[in-house]
This record gives sequence, structure tokens and C-alpha cells, in this order.
Amino acid sequence: MDFNVLQIILVFVWVFIVAIDQFDFLESLYQPIVSGAVIGAILGDLKTGLIVGGTYQLMTIGNMPVGGAQPPNAVIGGVMAVVFAIASGLDTTAAVGLAVPFALVGQYMVTLLFTVMSPMMSVADKMAEKGDHKGIVRLNWLAMGALGLLFAVVCTIGLIGGAAMGNALQSVFDAVPWLMTGLSAAGGMMRFVGFATLLRIMLSNEHWGIYFAGFALATIIGYIPALSGSALILIAFVGIALALSDFQTNVAIRNAGANGNGGDDDGI
Amino acid sequence: MASNQTTYTNLTPAQPLDKKTLNKMVWRSLNLQGSFNYERMQANGWLYGILPGLLAIHGEGTDDLKTSMGHNLEFFNTHPFLVTFVMGIVLSLEQQKADINTIRAVRVAAMGPLGGIGDAIFWFTLVPIAAGICSNMAIAGSIMGPILFLLIFNLVQFAVRFFLMHWSYNLGTKAIELLTANAKEFTRAASMLGVFIVGALTSNYGGTTTVLEIPNGESPIVLQSILDGVLPKMIPLALTLGLFFLMKKKGWTPVACIALLLVLGILGALVGFF
Repeated sequence: MDFNVLQIILVFVWVFIVAIDQFDFLESLYQPIVSGAVIGAILGDLKTGLIVGGTYQLMTIGNMPVGGAQPPNAVIGGVMAVVFAIASGLDTTAAVGLAVPFALVGQYMVTLLFTVMSPMMSVADKMAEKGDHKGIVRLNWLAMGALGLLFAVVCTIGLIGGAAMGNALQSVFDAVPWLMTGLSAAGGMMRFVGFATLLRIMLSNEHWGIYFAGFALATIIGYIPALSGSALILIAFVGIALALSDFQTNVAIRNAGANGNGGDDDGI
Repeated sequence: MASNQTTYTNLTPAQPLDKKTLNKMVWRSLNLQGSFNYERMQANGWLYGILPGLLAIHGEGTDDLKTSMGHNLEFFNTHPFLVTFVMGIVLSLEQQKADINTIRAVRVAAMGPLGGIGDAIFWFTLVPIAAGICSNMAIAGSIMGPILFLLIFNLVQFAVRFFLMHWSYNLGTKAIELLTANAKEFTRAASMLGVFIVGALTSNYGGTTTVLEIPNGESPIVLQSILDGVLPKMIPLALTLGLFFLMKKKGWTPVACIALLLVLGILGALVGFF
């Protein structure tokens, strides 16, 4: 694979942008249909970029039966599939297959970053205590930059080193399977710290029942696959009904109390 | 971390936010997930987004700004394209200097359900339709495929973002008069709703399961299915309550809790629990 320096730099910049775009910005540049065309144009074969990007897009939205493993990260998957299709003249399915290890490594990068950013929230807390709003802004941009950089480096390695580099990179992570499994598991549990913090502030002793009621309803609805999309809306309906009823009851009690006293006063 | 303060020191309502500030926050809302993390998810990006409004309301360097920044850094997660709805309503409450518990409760109650609505609109409807049509154009070799896709998607996205921000800010401003008359009752009810939603999130977002199997000849005992038989989502519930206990009774900081979970995660992976 021979790409010139300018092409490598442009791919690096584009991957930097779309890596961030998968969670921020327009959240649409990263889609394979767009990203594939841009990578194709950079590498001098717009047509292949369009075809591979379009085909890969259809795979990701499930409109097209796809055999074998789908890359876990569509950003890197899309970019590297186009790179391999242009460099080796492969068809889309084969090119996507070669992209899988890179996409996997990209996913590891996301896991690492989201884990590392968790303790950083305490740094943000300190900034809030000091009213340092510029620090909050800086932290947000810094994390975005880190994500862009990690992805851009992975793709550049693939661009220069070829498909073999993907397996080499993946084997580094495969050598310590417990590390990535452990980090993913820890990452999945860290949201409970966020929940516990909210509860610590919001939960008065009289409302424990409400907490368990919410948990119970969500668990029951969670067992109905057809409601996976609307679960939280339905739960909100029930919660709003509970809260509204409590609100109306308490307002009525207070008004009754006030009226009662007023009535006595008037009577005397 | 949020202080235990429940009201702002300056209770005089601030000047209503002008259109320019609201629009500025719509643009900032694009980077809601910039510092996404496993503990508080979009919290820092959320605060980043509403900072122009908070600065206009509380003023640079005030204690109220610090308090407000503190409680707006708590766990936050909603649909990125619909976040301006939560922004508008929370900012209207901030501007009226509502009780902090009220603002928190409204924020938590609003963020949860939007996730499902946003997925339904964007990922299950708009993207499949737009990308489906445009992908076929691209496969046929037309550069209009990606261009048209970007146009359709972003037109809808920005229309939704701008509309929701202004609509919900006005909505909140109107509703506040009704609420201040019954502020105490409203805060209590809103906190109930918030706690209810956090309970639901514990189950709904709680994906932690175990893969541990105890060898038992032909039919190994799968620990997770035994746990599910007792109480589904038992691990997420136990972890949340355990961490709540550590923080509330033992005074653990969030960082200490995260460190504990990292150790648990890696040890768990080593012994085959995860």
C-alpha cells in the first residue's frame, strides 16, 4: 500500500474529526456513507469510497443481511474498509472483514477513555467549587481531543502498516483478556456510583418505597422486548401519576388546614 | 460534589435569558457527550452546555454560580438530540432561583424518558429511511448520496434542537408561577418522581451480569439464572445500594468508589465472574 504523506495527513485529520463526531458535533459525518466517500476522495478513488461506504451503511442499519462478524465500531470499520478496498481491490465484505481488528481496537480505546474520564469528574467537582467555568469547557474539549487522537493513531497505523497491523494490535489486547473484560465490567458498574450520589442527595427516608417501586416497574417492563424503546416513557407516566397525586393531596391538606383555621377565627 | 445547600443565596429572579444566549447553548449542546464517562455519563458536557445561561443568571464569581455548577455536575444522561428540552426547562427554573432540590428533581425526571423517544425518532426512523435511500444512490456512484444524507439528517436535528430549547424555556417560565404558590409540595412531589426514575434507571441502565458457571457434570449451574430466579437485576440493585451505603454512612468519595469498582471488575474478570 503506497499512500503519500499528504493523504496520510488528511486521513489522520478526517478520522480525528469523525471519531469525535460519533458522539458530538453533527453526529452524522461519521456515518459510513459520508465518511466512506471522504476517505475515497482523499485516497483518489471516490467511486470505491461511495460504494463501500454505501454498502457498509446498509449493513449497519440492518437493511442488508451481513455474514460474519460486524465491526464493533462503525467509525473505524467504515474508514478502514474503504482503505482496504482501495488498496487491495477487495470487495466490500472482504474489506470489512479486514477492518474488524481495527474496529475492535477502537472500541477498546473508547472503553479506556470512558474509564479514565470517570475519576476526572472529581477534578470537575473541584472546578465547580471554585466557579472555574473555563476549566469545565477545557475538560470537555480535552476529552474530545483525546478521543480523536486515539482513533486517528489507530487508523494511521492501519494505513501505513496494512491489514496485518490490525491483528498485531488486537493481539496486544488479547494477551491480557482479563484487563479489557475487567475494565468493561468496571465501566458498566460505574454508573451505579452516579445513581448512588443522586440518591444520597435526593432520597429522604420516607421515599425508599418509591425507589424500589421504580426499580420493580423497570425490571418488569425490561422483560418485555417489544417495550425496550418506550420503557422509560411508560415508567415516567406512572411516576408522574404518583407524584401528581402526592402533590394534589398535600396541597389539598394544606388548604384544608388553612381554611379550617380561618373558619375558626371567623367564627370567634 | 453538590453541597448540602438547598436554596440559592440570591433569590431574586434573574433577567430572563435572551434569544442569543439560548441559541448559544443550542450550539454548545452539540458537544454534550464530549467528556462522556462511565460514572456520570454526560454530566460535564451538560454543564458545559448550560454554562452561558448559568453565567448570565448567577453572575461570574458568585457563590450561587459555584453551587449551581456543583449540582449540575451530578449524573446526567439523556438523548443528545433532545437535550435542549431539558436545558430549557432547567434554565427557566435556575432563572427563577427555584429550590435546588426542585431543579435536580426536574432534571432527573426529564432526562430519563427522552432517551427512548430520541432513539425512536432518530435511530429507528430518520437514519434508516434517510440512509436507506441515500446509500443506494451512493452505491450507484452518486456523490449526492452522502450530501443528501447530511442535509436531511442535520436539517431535522437542528430544527429539533432549536425548537425544543425555546419552547421548553418558555414552558418552564410559564409553569413557574403556578409552582411557586405550592413550592414545598412541588419539591416533595418532584423529588418523589426523581427517586422513582433513579430506581427505574438502576434496572434499565444496569447491565451488570455474571458469567460464572459452577461445574456440575452434564448441566453446569449458571449463577446468573439462579440470581434472576430470586430477583432479576439483583447485581445492579445490590451495587447501587452498597455504594449508597458507603457514601452516605462511611463517607466514601466517588473516586474511592470508582477505585473499588475497578478492583472488583479486574478481580472479577480474573476469577471468571465477569
